[in-house]
Amino acid sequence: MLFPFPRGYRDCELHSWQILTSCDNKLGLQNINGMSTRQASVHAKWIIGQVIGTKMKKTAKVRVTRLVLDPYLLKYYNKRKTYFAHDPLEQCTIGDVVLLKALPEKRSKHVNHELAEIVYKVGQVVDPLTGKRVAGTQYLEPLTESTEDTEVSLKEKLEQLNITASTTPPSAS
Amino acid sequence: MPMKGRFPIRRTLEYLQKGEVVFKKSVNIMTVNYNTHGDLSEGARKFVFFNIPQIQYKNPWVQIMMFKNMTPSPFLRFYLDDGEQVLVDVEGKDHKEIMNHVKTILGKSDKVLEAEALAKMELSNPANFGPKRYFLRECISEVEGQVPHPGFVPLPKEMTGKYRAKLAAASDE
Repeated sequence: MLFPFPRGYRDCELHSWQILTSCDNKLGLQNINGMSTRQASVHAKWIIGQVIGTKMKKTAKVRVTRLVLDPYLLKYYNKRKTYFAHDPLEQCTIGDVVLLKALPEKRSKHVNHELAEIVYKVGQVVDPLTGKRVAGTQYLEPLTESTEDTEVSLKEKLEQLNITASTTPPSAS
Repeated sequence: MPMKGRFPIRRTLEYLQKGEVVFKKSVNIMTVNYNTHGDLSEGARKFVFFNIPQIQYKNPWVQIMMFKNMTPSPFLRFYLDDGEQVLVDVEGKDHKEIMNHVKTILGKSDKVLEAEALAKMELSNPANFGPKRYFLRECISEVEGQVPHPGFVPLPKEMTGKYRAKLAAASDE
């Protein structure tokens, strides 16, 4: 039985689920049979996951969880999937929460994504609302910046105030 | 296994289909950061408990991730197609307020949803007959009140072909 599509089908026609990736402008457009758009290598363009392994050179192993509905219980459970992401500067540690972006072309057999941004770094989580470092439910940095110099002791402050017992009685006003 | 657990109504198809928020096409990831204790996170906790299944049911291709006890204040974060991030502070808000807010900023409006539903209805016209896979009914005989197939119910003698032919022959003579 003949395969229904001609061999050139995948190269020249766009499927409905393919979205233009924003890195097209940076890498330059390739003209494939007259079409000036690139096919993405995977269906998922942006993914968030947790790093579980960094033993590979310039590659991070990321676990991504998606909510999947159990058909009988009708309840959502986390389903895990591991992805490999290209991390050129090796800046990921195990336990980081990381945002991955789909590469326009497969980098290798398993690597289809690259590291876009480390969202929450392990041990150095920054609260996006205030911009301060945070540990669990506590702030590590003070919220309001104090204008006083904390090293100056109370005694020196009192000396600066220069309080003396006044001899003249206070004038009645 | 019928209605078991707290608020088992969350696990019914009718409840899931009643979800109001349908995200725009550009939304890829939704992240919820909330705390397990504390009054300020109460709205966020209720949002995760009641509304997240509805949102995931209506948007099966959006990745939803929950983070507990990472920052002191709860918030929502959306990652859009072009790399843009939307941060929504949720501290102290009620779960219904959060739902409405999310619907106004990133959900498809009622008009758009109605137009889409109308377009979907136009594709499937109940007046057409054909194979069960594509149409409602295969033959007019399936409709109540119409003449059924003689295979199921024998036709009355006056409607059979051979009786009518005999009548026609008798009237001719």
